[in-house]
Amino acid sequence: VAKTSLTSPPWPEVKLPDPVEEAKYHAEVVQKVNKMIATGQYGRLFAVVHFASKQWKITSEDLIMMDNVLEAECGDRIRMEKVLLVGADDFTLIGRPLLGKDLVRVEATVIEKTESWPKINMRFWKRHNYQRKKIITNPQTVLRINTIEIFPCLV
Amino acid sequence: MVLLSAPRWLRSRLTDRFWRVQEVLKYARHFRGRKNRCYKLAVRSVRRAFVRSTKARREKKRFLRALWITRIEAASLEHGLKYPAFISNLFKSQVELNRKMIADLAIYEPKTFKSLAALAQRRRQEGFLAALGDGKEPEGIFSRVVHHY
Repeated sequence: VAKTSLTSPPWPEVKLPDPVEEAKYHAEVVQKVNKMIATGQYGRLFAVVHFASKQWKITSEDLIMMDNVLEAECGDRIRMEKVLLVGADDFTLIGRPLLGKDLVRVEATVIEKTESWPKINMRFWKRHNYQRKKIITNPQTVLRINTIEIFPCLV
Repeated sequence: MVLLSAPRWLRSRLTDRFWRVQEVLKYARHFRGRKNRCYKLAVRSVRRAFVRSTKARREKKRFLRALWITRIEAASLEHGLKYPAFISNLFKSQVELNRKMIADLAIYEPKTFKSLAALAQRRRQEGFLAALGDGKEPEGIFSRVVHHY
């Protein structure tokens, strides 16, 4: 039968690769990455961590400032548990949505607990003799990320 | 002798007018024109500046989100995906990175962003296949498709 414009659907045909072959390939890749982690062939690790209702992209030895109070004294070591992504130069581990606690370990220390610079909140309605001025200082906490470690327990 | 009321030559006069004026002028020092020197003009400018900064703090969030979305769109177009496809498929595959993170990854970790784009593309294709179905007709229908034999 002759091919017309309506024989095949107008969207491009999508073919997925063979599931068996794909499973083999996936297992191979996972083994390779596991070996790399076990032998320690990665340079600097970066992680995406969900902390204080924000997501941060962190590496070791960098500073983070949160705009709220943390119930820990200065000098306390903290382990951040909600890790979304960990990556190095050659591989990345993407969590769905979080990575396991036995896979990544992110340690941080509380360095400083201060207040922010005085921010000015002003409201003014013209011709109504209404103005209010308020000075707000938010409490802030500064954390230093000490280490990010990964362990070779990929399946 | 006890005076029951203060004498007339005793007045309470303002002594720190200079510092009160300086408190306002210090916020106006970087303005242009006479409003950085003259108190009467400076008071109005400083008041408007404060009100604008309070309102801008609320708009900043919207503005930054639009900026991140633009950046993610540009980066995903480099990998052959449009922004709505990228974001929707990423959420459907349970990756909960927010737009700020994805924009930062697109700038500083291009390889990671490429893998995220590949993930979104694969999930998109799987979604298409799932929506198209098996190609079989439902039961009870005489014929829907004309078969050429």
